[in-house]
Amino acid sequence: MPITFHIPGALREFTAGRSRVEIEHSPATLADALSALWTLYPGVRDRIATEQGQVRDHINIFIGNEDVRYTGGLASSVSPGSEISIVPAVSGG
Amino acid sequence: MIGKLLGHCRIVAKIGEGGMGIVYRAQDEVLHRDVAVKVVNKDRHLDSSATQNLLYEARASSSLAHPNICTIHEVGETDGDLYIVMELVEGKSLRAMCADAGLPPESVLRYGIQIASALTRAHDRGIVHRDLKTANIVLSSDGLVKVLDFGLARHAGSGIFDGTTRSFATPQGVSSVSGTLPYMAPEILRGDAGDYRSDLWALGVVLYEAASGRMPFEGRTGFEISSAIMREIPNPLGPPVPPGLWAVIQRCLAKEPIQRYQRASEIQAALEAIQSGAIVSSNPATDQNAPRTTVLHSVRHAHVKKGDFLLLVGTTKGAFILRSNSQRRRWDIGGPYFHGDNVYAMAYDGRGGQHRIWASTQSYWGTLLRSSDDFGKSWTNPQQAPIRFPSDTGLSLKNIWQITPGRPEEPNVLYCGVEPAALFETRDAGETWSLVRGLFDHPHRPRWVPGNGGLALHTVVLDPANHQRIYVAISAGGVYRTNDGGATWTAQNRGIRAMFMPDKYPEFGQCVHKIALHPARPQRIFLQNHWGLYRSDNCGESWVDIANGVPSDFGFTVLMHPTNPNCVYIVPVESDVFRCACDGRLRVYRTRNAGASWEPLVRGLPQKRAYETVLRDAMTADSLDPVGIYFGTRSGQLFGSRDEGRTWQKLHEGLPAVVCVRSAVVEGASGGAVPSLPKAARPPSQKTSSSTKSTPRRSKR
Repeated sequence: MPITFHIPGALREFTAGRSRVEIEHSPATLADALSALWTLYPGVRDRIATEQGQVRDHINIFIGNEDVRYTGGLASSVSPGSEISIVPAVSGG
Repeated sequence: MIGKLLGHCRIVAKIGEGGMGIVYRAQDEVLHRDVAVKVVNKDRHLDSSATQNLLYEARASSSLAHPNICTIHEVGETDGDLYIVMELVEGKSLRAMCADAGLPPESVLRYGIQIASALTRAHDRGIVHRDLKTANIVLSSDGLVKVLDFGLARHAGSGIFDGTTRSFATPQGVSSVSGTLPYMAPEILRGDAGDYRSDLWALGVVLYEAASGRMPFEGRTGFEISSAIMREIPNPLGPPVPPGLWAVIQRCLAKEPIQRYQRASEIQAALEAIQSGAIVSSNPATDQNAPRTTVLHSVRHAHVKKGDFLLLVGTTKGAFILRSNSQRRRWDIGGPYFHGDNVYAMAYDGRGGQHRIWASTQSYWGTLLRSSDDFGKSWTNPQQAPIRFPSDTGLSLKNIWQITPGRPEEPNVLYCGVEPAALFETRDAGETWSLVRGLFDHPHRPRWVPGNGGLALHTVVLDPANHQRIYVAISAGGVYRTNDGGATWTAQNRGIRAMFMPDKYPEFGQCVHKIALHPARPQRIFLQNHWGLYRSDNCGESWVDIANGVPSDFGFTVLMHPTNPNCVYIVPVESDVFRCACDGRLRVYRTRNAGASWEPLVRGLPQKRAYETVLRDAMTADSLDPVGIYFGTRSGQLFGSRDEGRTWQKLHEGLPAVVCVRSAVVEGASGGAVPSLPKAARPPSQKTSSSTKSTPRRSKR
């Protein structure tokens, strides 16, 4: 069962306009899932992660309804059928 | 020896033996703990000065309280026996653990971080290991790395467990070197004394060995090994070793010490970054079908013609392009481009007949350098951020503060000053960028501290006469200058006050806000400091205070008149606490005698309750006659003067906070068309509902 990424509007330029991207194989962790995402759509990578491979400060990633900051970050486990949302944080002025 | 009392330690059993002596397990009868006691061989024939030196270094090392350093408890002599009492570390040496095939990368990173942490502590205390090797690193039973024998190598050798440690005189007989050949740095083999950076080389060897189970420099004889160390490049380490780790090892193993990391803490930070960044694909493939250029449809564009005059305005919510003709009376405005993004830096590059606009954008999604060759109708939107810190630095780009086109004779050269403070350069018109290592490796860098806006290299000034000379300004690091094209840099801050430091005139650490020089007199530089207004007449060697009669010497911008090398503009603000125009009166100050006196320029500027701020890059001049001066404020007002500042007009209001203003006269443009854009990529006549649409990138410029 594939997992599904929900792509925010700002990044759809790099996913051929898709708002949902399905990863067919079953990644075990969020890091694996993200790697699969930017193998498909390389332009997404630098928008989500720094050059050192860390998720940017103001980008939140949810697996289901859980913010991965509280579930182990990139090591968070991903189960078949998971829905992963990439959401810019609410902050700033 | 068994049963003998050395100090208050009774020898219990022999646990090892090497070329230098024997190690015993002992019982500390006072503190009731197990310890290790190393007894140096009597037949070692250490003369009294060598003995004293060994004792001295051992005592110094005993001050290194660190969880990854084997603690030295006591040193002494009894009945002619020289002995060292130390923490008893029971475990397996790193050499034994990686002897077969190397350790998993996660383990190498975990151990490497601890070793680098140990070296950081020792080097901070002035102690160099001199014989770091996998045989001297023990994994204790509780999983901690322990580095043994700190500071003992120089005089006594340390190879109790490893007979390959050698001490010998150099061919020149100048200094005695010691260590273990496969871990020795090239400078040691050359007969130099070596320093803490020789330990960083050895750490590179240790990491290579731990990751692969092999030595980076091999040979059948000492001569072959030495020759490999001096001349050869180690075989690359591929998967499973992450590229970042291999990059760190390579930098440790740079033949010249200056090309290595300059501090163990930098290696620690780089390894930690690799460890925490589980996303290892640092070099993603390029999607050939993906867009690299964004064409903006629903944004209003200025229609630019040859001979037009442009103002590029960067704000905290996007960029704007204002167009006028050489009369500079009527303006139309294009934008906002990158609406919502911080645009801290813009530049116009008309070299070689091009008319390229550069902009840096910063948002939640990262920081990008972009360019437009059609006055904003389309912008590059690279898949991979063009400016990025190499993985071995452990740093991530936060913002681009300055874009400086190179000299006219070098049309493909540009520089970017970034946060965290570093300088990047391109020599192929922006296709590829590289970190200027000479500045990045400066030993001062770890001690630069962030100013209010972050730790930024915000100003890059090129000497037009001397092609090897560049100045940069860093908040808060001060002014640095290179005379050799960027290979080496020196702090140039003599006479500049640092109000916030205990030493008010330090070598570096000043919070300089802006510097400017005149092409006709490049040895003279003007400087607006965080408190203080200065001039240097000798390329920054020394500075004199020129705040003669200004209402405040606090401010951000300092602008050079384009033709008069004695004329400079500033906009003082009240204080570092109240960073607004003094007394609520927006006043530009001008000197026409290089700072001997200043005059206020206020005609047309608000003089009541105008609590305005003009930031460091928010002021510019044009190259027309008479000269025009322009500036934007934090409240989004844009002012211009067509008579060198005598009178001012408000050009625009209601913009987001202005952080950058640049000007340009367009040579050779025609009708705002998109000459180099393929037909298919041109904007369709019908606007789309989306504000942006992507097209393939135009061919390489």
